[in-house]
Amino acid sequence: MSETVVVGAARVGRFATVLIVTGSAILAVVALAAIFAPLFTGWGPTEIDPLGTLVPPGPGHPLGTDANGMDVWSRLLYAGRLDLGIAVAGVAVAVVAGTALGLVAGYLGGWVDDVLMRVVDIFQAFPTFILALAVAALVGNGTGNLIAVIAAVNAPAYARLVRAEVRTVRESAFVAASVTSGASTSGVLWRHVLPNSLTPVRVIAPLNAGWAMLTLAGLSFLGLGVTVPAAEWGAMISLGSPDVVAGRWWTSVPPGLVLLICVLGFSLLGEGLQERAEAKRR
Amino acid sequence: MSPVDPDLLSIEHLSVVIRRPGREVAALSDVSLRVGRGEVVGLVGESGGGKSMVARSIVGLLPGGSHATGAVRFEGDDVLRMDDDALRRHRGHGAAICFQNPRGALSPTRTVGRQLTDRLTTHQRLTEAEARRAAEEQFAAVGIRSPRRRLGAYPHELSGGMAQRVMISLATGCAPGLLIADEPTTGLDVTLTREILRRFRHAADTDGRGVLLISHDLASIADVCDRVVVLYAGTVVESGPAARVLGRPAHPYTRALLRSVPDVDGRAVVATPGAMPLLKAAPHDCPFAPRCAHATAECTAERPPVSRVPGAADDWTLACFHPRTDELAFAEPAETPGRATAAERAVLEVDDAHVVYRSRFGKGGHAALRGVSLRVAAGETLGVVGESGCGKSTLAKLLLGLVSPARGDVRVAGSRMSDLRGGELRRLRTRVQMVFQDPIGSLSPRRTVADAIAEPLRALGLPAARRAERVEAVADRLKIDRSMLARRPHELSGGQAQRVCVARALAGEPDVLVFDEPTSALDVTVQAQILEVIADVVRDPARGSVFISHDLATVRGFADRVIVLYLGRIVEEGPVDEVFGNPRHPYTRALLSSAPSLGDGFSGPKVTLTEDLDDTDAAAPGCPLAARCPFADDRCRTEEQELRPYGNTRAACRRVPEIPDLLKGSDIRV
Amino acid sequence: MRIVRFVVRRLLQLIPVLLGVVVLTFLLVRVLPGDPIRTILGPNATPEDAAAARARYGLDQPIVKQFLDYLGGLVTGDLGTSIQSGTSVGAEIGLRIGPTFELVVLALAVALVVAVLLGVWSARHADRAGDHGVRLTALVGNSMPEFWLGLVLILVGYSVLGWFPAPSGRVDPDTNLTPLTGADLLDAALTLNGPAFGSALAHLILPVATLSIVVVAPLLRSVRASALEVLHSEPYVAATAHGLRGRTLLRGYLLRATLARLPSLAALVFGTSIGSTVLVEYVFSWQGFGQWALRGLLYRDYPVVQASVLVIAFCYVVVFLIADVAQAVLDPRVQI
Repeated sequence: MSETVVVGAARVGRFATVLIVTGSAILAVVALAAIFAPLFTGWGPTEIDPLGTLVPPGPGHPLGTDANGMDVWSRLLYAGRLDLGIAVAGVAVAVVAGTALGLVAGYLGGWVDDVLMRVVDIFQAFPTFILALAVAALVGNGTGNLIAVIAAVNAPAYARLVRAEVRTVRESAFVAASVTSGASTSGVLWRHVLPNSLTPVRVIAPLNAGWAMLTLAGLSFLGLGVTVPAAEWGAMISLGSPDVVAGRWWTSVPPGLVLLICVLGFSLLGEGLQERAEAKRR
Repeated sequence: MSPVDPDLLSIEHLSVVIRRPGREVAALSDVSLRVGRGEVVGLVGESGGGKSMVARSIVGLLPGGSHATGAVRFEGDDVLRMDDDALRRHRGHGAAICFQNPRGALSPTRTVGRQLTDRLTTHQRLTEAEARRAAEEQFAAVGIRSPRRRLGAYPHELSGGMAQRVMISLATGCAPGLLIADEPTTGLDVTLTREILRRFRHAADTDGRGVLLISHDLASIADVCDRVVVLYAGTVVESGPAARVLGRPAHPYTRALLRSVPDVDGRAVVATPGAMPLLKAAPHDCPFAPRCAHATAECTAERPPVSRVPGAADDWTLACFHPRTDELAFAEPAETPGRATAAERAVLEVDDAHVVYRSRFGKGGHAALRGVSLRVAAGETLGVVGESGCGKSTLAKLLLGLVSPARGDVRVAGSRMSDLRGGELRRLRTRVQMVFQDPIGSLSPRRTVADAIAEPLRALGLPAARRAERVEAVADRLKIDRSMLARRPHELSGGQAQRVCVARALAGEPDVLVFDEPTSALDVTVQAQILEVIADVVRDPARGSVFISHDLATVRGFADRVIVLYLGRIVEEGPVDEVFGNPRHPYTRALLSSAPSLGDGFSGPKVTLTEDLDDTDAAAPGCPLAARCPFADDRCRTEEQELRPYGNTRAACRRVPEIPDLLKGSDIRV
Repeated sequence: MRIVRFVVRRLLQLIPVLLGVVVLTFLLVRVLPGDPIRTILGPNATPEDAAAARARYGLDQPIVKQFLDYLGGLVTGDLGTSIQSGTSVGAEIGLRIGPTFELVVLALAVALVVAVLLGVWSARHADRAGDHGVRLTALVGNSMPEFWLGLVLILVGYSVLGWFPAPSGRVDPDTNLTPLTGADLLDAALTLNGPAFGSALAHLILPVATLSIVVVAPLLRSVRASALEVLHSEPYVAATAHGLRGRTLLRGYLLRATLARLPSLAALVFGTSIGSTVLVEYVFSWQGFGQWALRGLLYRDYPVVQASVLVIAFCYVVVFLIADVAQAVLDPRVQI
């Protein structure tokens, strides 16, 4: 028997798994650290150390204190609650609302589609962040309002995504088969069109949650989101930004780094899901 | 070069196992075959047999994760072990593939002329200017009209047939020793199929190229090939001269394959149960044994070696312990029931229906059906045939109420669809059920089989318990295993999925069943099984059926009456034996003449239509066929043709009485 | 010719969208909590002062009248007068848009080149270590808070290393740069002012780097995905199977097909970069359009908010228009 010739072994899927696991692990660690923050620090998130502001990292304050004399490490931990909570809740609302709109527009077509899509057009005539700025300035900055802001600026994209998918699925043979079997419109939508139109949403949503955190932090950085003294990474960076020119790194670098890592968790998860979806498609 | 002139291509004991995480497939197991210069070899078998893998191994494009043993010798050199440079020279210049889906295989962002000159400058060392001239000649040689203009075209601007011609010119433009054609005629109409296949024969005869013709369509390639190699589950089961292997095959699988192919002469297909196995490792027995009527203990204990067919010449070999030498027996033509008479209850009536697809912007549109009338009685099966673009699919959609007629009526069991709305319309819809072309695509990916079958019952408002009962009853009738009811579509094979679709169509006891090309996406032996299921289902006297197909042979099998569509009009209508035995309309005769056949085929005098023009103007006055019909005269070109009775049939041609005489003349072309 | 007709038709189609934007922002700014008059007059103003100021800016008129006046002004190219500064909004935009444009165009150009080169390379080496490295880097870039990245670059480049100028202003005033377009680097080049050119360049490097890093990441991912799809596509496999040379494959069968899939995605990414620009300008005190618009929004300066929203919406849709034209040029299947 002649020797075996081996063609470059396919490694489809392994990298995707690594991405998904790493991403999930990062998110789990950040979420747990935020939930159980009191276990890791003795300081409260808004507790002021009467002994000093802008104390460099040392034994009492592992990451020093900020301009208000609050412990950076402790604020870093607690901030995850607001950041993760608002971003995830906002995106969840956006997914539900956007999907419903896209489903209706895509399946019914006609003037309903035209009207809904023109509204979406106007929303999408702005970059997401600009839109978020405008809406945040409009509604003010309570937690509920910020969730609404995140939901409002992201929902149009889902509406468009789902609508496009619905329009493809609507033309497929299995929908025709269902219609000719005498199924009602709501039955077709609920049982066939919806479940088969959600694949892209599943992939986009985690990535979107990451971007939503960046949006939220950006708003807070400009003073339009969460405001000091509440603990939030963007607001912490904002508070620490004047220190940078003076070479004081501990007030702004750590919160940004944690924000980056947390968003990266979402990105890794989304990328992994996307890769897996594509591998399945091939 | 080596002292003894080797075969052009000689594959020796090639085995390919594809190993991927969680999956292992023995794609080819000990395959040997050869192709000489000037020889056309057909590689046949059903999908999953390993045909494409053979093609890929010849150009060194095995998929990632392949573990290959054996050798693929091309002019003596082993392709599997070539280095990158040698491989690049071999690809194209040594062996060039014509890809299965030419429109998909041409780069969409480069003109076809550039794609051809790329090949010419690479392999024939021409300068750009020389290449352009050569490209024009190449295009002309494959039958492309106004080649100079076409050089600047992009692939999306070409029709399917034109794209296939371009693909052939790309492959031959590399001046290869071996031309590999992977299913080159899939999706082409019969007339075009013959022409394209002739080009490959031509390449072998005049340029001395070897040609490896890969096809699942035995009838089409039968008279083009010198030799045929039959693959089954990655093994060569039989190989030899085409006339022998396809005329009087010795291997039970080849015989099963041939008996599964319907033929226009009306012989009944014989279905072979089971399906091709997907092997995880090279087999140690005969892979066909589980489906074989002649299998013995020996067959399951040991893999049959390749040996000469008893009493035959050297080059006819097979891998079987029990070669069959008797004549291939076919069942008698199924008797045409002829139960239906006009007096019986009509379940479906279409009256002068016109369907127009509006163009998206502005006025105008495209008339897909122009004045079609038909009637189906309970217990009757109506066959609908025609080439692509004749309006078959539109007719199916019309019958199901998926498009509404611009003019005319559709009545199901006496009720007019356009009169109803909401719940009443939905209930009427359950009276007409369709079986679609793509079985897996017509099942909702995220719903179980049981769910799919219950769909019409849900619409009828049956409670869940009664639905489950009904689903099991229908599943039993169609021999769908109960364990399959919980599965989802992607876990089914094409044949299983189509069985499920038939079950879904039957579940609500409809008055009319519409079959839209129900077997064209299936492999030959599976097709035979589904045809058997359909034949059983349409026999029900309470129900009328419409069977739509581009393949005349499958229609002949069990339709009572047949209508022939051309450009949205009915050109002929009548009892099936009458239309197939004594076609009145020139178009019907031409269709029958060009239908590929392994048996006797169409026995009457044959006609060939002139090639379809790209821009046939369906709106022109007169007979729509006039431009292509050999019998057309001036009156045909100006007078609208109506269906008129000739004996039992009706045809839309005023010259029918004269045609027998005209056929005796010299203008008969085959 | 067809392209010109297409562009004109598309610009005409923009009118209703932009009109919608105008109406919407006009109404929205007026329901914003907060009062522009209060912010300019300060806490000690009497109600009479406020009423007088209100009348000066026409804010005492009925809302329909205000809208018609505004619309009339728009038609004649008058964007109104800033309540904060009292100067013409049109003139202020003219002053601020140049620096922003310079920043954005440079960043996008850098990002495009890097994304295409790296994306195609990464796809051709798919699933090897180098590719994984590129992908992870792109993911990090994709997750980067741009304002923080700017701060870190300032910390390292200015505070620690001292290589770059302080993050305030766009050019050293001592270089006596004569402003022409407002885009300092361009002005310096046009007036052959060497020292100003050097200073403008030094000021540009960090913000351009910040902006291009956040833009390059999503772009790079798209290019890689697109190239990978082409590499696996039937046409490319067919060309490989016909033994074409590597160079022919790359130029004729990979690059254009890869780029043909990108314009609309790229437009989306560029659009997002407008949002990032606001943050980057803020961090580097760039005094460009973004920072100006932001201040307008914070002080409820109605004419400024209205004008800047309109300009942003216009830029955004024009970017998409350019993308559609690019798509039509790259992909022969697209009819325009």
